[in-house]
Amino acid sequence: MEKKVRIGFYALTSCYGCQLQLAMMDELLQLLPHAEIVCWFMVERDSYEDEPVDIAFIEGSVSTEEEIELVKKIRENAKIVVAVGSCAVHGGVQSWEKDKSLEELWKTVYGDGKVKFEPKMAEPVENYIKVDYRIYGCPPEKKDFLYAIGTFLVGSWPEDIDYPVCVECRLKGHPCILIEKGEPCLGPITRAGCDARCPGFGVACIGCRGAIGYDVAWFDSLAKTFKEKGLTKEEILERMKMFNAHNPKLEEMVEKIFQGVEE
Amino acid sequence: MKSLYLPITVDHIARVEGKGGVEIIVGDEGVKEVKLNIIEGPRFFEAITVGKKLDEALAVYPRICSFCSAAHKLTAVEAAEKAIGFEPREEIQALREVLYIGDMIESHALHLYLLVLPDYLGYSNPLKMVDEYKKEIGIALDLKNLGSWMMDELGARAIHQENVVLGGFGKLPGRATLEKMKRRLQEALPKAEYTFELFSKLEQYEEVEGPIIHMAVKPRDDVYGIYGDAISVSDGFEFPSEDYKKHMVERVVEHSFAKHSFYNDEKPFMTGAISRVVNHADKLYGRAKELYESHKDLLRSTNPFANNLAQALELVYFTERAIDLIDEALAKWSIRPRDEVEIRDGFGVSTTEAPRGILVYALEVKDGRVAYADIITPTAFNLAMMEVHVRMMAEKHYNDDPERLKYLAEMVVRAYDPCISCSVHVARL
Ligand code: SF4
Ligand code: SF4
Ligand code: SF4
Repeated sequence: MEKKVRIGFYALTSCYGCQLQLAMMDELLQLLPHAEIVCWFMVERDSYEDEPVDIAFIEGSVSTEEEIELVKKIRENAKIVVAVGSCAVHGGVQSWEKDKSLEELWKTVYGDGKVKFEPKMAEPVENYIKVDYRIYGCPPEKKDFLYAIGTFLVGSWPEDIDYPVCVECRLKGHPCILIEKGEPCLGPITRAGCDARCPGFGVACIGCRGAIGYDVAWFDSLAKTFKEKGLTKEEILERMKMFNAHNPKLEEMVEKIFQGVEE
Repeated sequence: MKSLYLPITVDHIARVEGKGGVEIIVGDEGVKEVKLNIIEGPRFFEAITVGKKLDEALAVYPRICSFCSAAHKLTAVEAAEKAIGFEPREEIQALREVLYIGDMIESHALHLYLLVLPDYLGYSNPLKMVDEYKKEIGIALDLKNLGSWMMDELGARAIHQENVVLGGFGKLPGRATLEKMKRRLQEALPKAEYTFELFSKLEQYEEVEGPIIHMAVKPRDDVYGIYGDAISVSDGFEFPSEDYKKHMVERVVEHSFAKHSFYNDEKPFMTGAISRVVNHADKLYGRAKELYESHKDLLRSTNPFANNLAQALELVYFTERAIDLIDEALAKWSIRPRDEVEIRDGFGVSTTEAPRGILVYALEVKDGRVAYADIITPTAFNLAMMEVHVRMMAEKHYNDDPERLKYLAEMVVRAYDPCISCSVHVARL
């Protein structure tokens, strides 16, 4: 008999959308004969957070002290750790106000109220443990899951995408929202893989798959274009930070444009 | 012999959306304490969107919750449009409701078949039911797929619908797609009815029987639906949505990142499918009306488990309703997906019926930015009532095997279809 792959799906603080996306895939039924679900609270009552697994999928950002312990435990128990979705990979939209203090955010929402757990500012999983692979998106596309799981099952390793949403957008032949409508589309700096979903509906990309890695996210060139369209530095930073607040290059590169340095 | 202090805990309630646990403390004289521990971390949505550009904030709000992302998007957009003094055209409004219904169909199908049914059939996980319950799993997938597809076509995606924008939609589906949607909805009707039949046979757990205060949005135009501008209470009281703070009072409780809400400051209340049915069954029509009439005793106001059957009833109702709304949109058809909006200063409150109950968005807009945001989700409203019902169950069963009690406690919670992550991420004092 074939040895089943032991998988765990763990949730940190999130909207549960990445798991929902996976749970909603009819293709999951074909995968199941090859996999054993060790932990996945959203679908399995008999879930065990402490057991060893071959592949650990982690969704959500690290947002409480308890979750720091949890990710460390998951890492110890797993052969492969996959960060799933913008929350786990980039800290998620909850990191948008990364620069405000936790106290300030807490006060706005809870006033002087106290609870018995320890909250903290949202962070990507990678700030605490080594992550072997990332599935991008908020939420990821179904094909992202199929591709990743499929390659794991045949003992191979999925490849990252290193070109922007614009490439897919041009191939699809959508009118360019940035050039033709002058709206702040983040397609040029955002990792492709969604087939330019939003521009296809006439809506500017908000960058939900996060900035392209390998230092090919040209925050500065896009900031320059936005600046020419009349956006202020704050407006540009705000928009780019929705899904990229933890990006180490973002601020420095946007800043450059406003210091009058020619490229 | 019973121990003096026996905490029975479920650290992580399975098959619900979000992280929460139940703690039941039994002492010499029975159940001492029951707590729903909501341990999902805070995401501070209100705090992080204040000061942000309106359109960007509107893109972030649905990320509060994936099961109801369309509900969040549409409610936030309505609050924003009310704030800036814009009213969408009728066909746009109709299609937005169809999108909302896509969310309702998907959410109810997932909850009933994948989260609730396994308990009744003795499975720990719905995926294990595939061989034995082919028909049921098939229907679950068909209904789920229909809901997701409606959201794909109208919202650009089944989760986090970027296609809904101020003034309308980014892009509208063509007439042919809407005709196809109608056909698929018609084909789904017998499956929705089968679901209703199936759930009408399930156990109601008399242990939790008792009076419940129900709140629901009073539907516009007197037709059972999702949008409305007032809240009705099952005791006969009614108030305009803007007054929600006066009658649905929130308090921070120390064992939960989510606050608890009370009607007129002290009484826990329920919201959700059963509350909609209890308060507004007279506004149902079509096949759902007939099913309601013949199953009134099961769709009673006094038992939280009736929420499951009420959701099944809504699967029938909303499927029919979406067909009518599509006809309405097609009759007024124009290909213009959106109208120009002028972002003026103002304040708007939107109350809608999300799959799990009343969802409130109050937004103030100033200089094109969000100046104030207050969001209260159905699960946050329900938490206090949920604790009452878990306690009732515990009081009847604390002498049983702790595993059995845990199982029953989880089932009570699941009947509410709680959306724990959204209960946490919002709500302010
Ligand atoms: S990445 Fe997006 S879809 Fe996934 S859990 Fe986070 S907010 Fe939800
Ligand atoms: S619309 Fe956006 S994604 Fe498409 S080409 Fe233009 S900038 Fe790139
Ligand atoms: S277009 Fe941009 S916002 Fe839309 S799905 Fe793709 S990456 Fe996400």
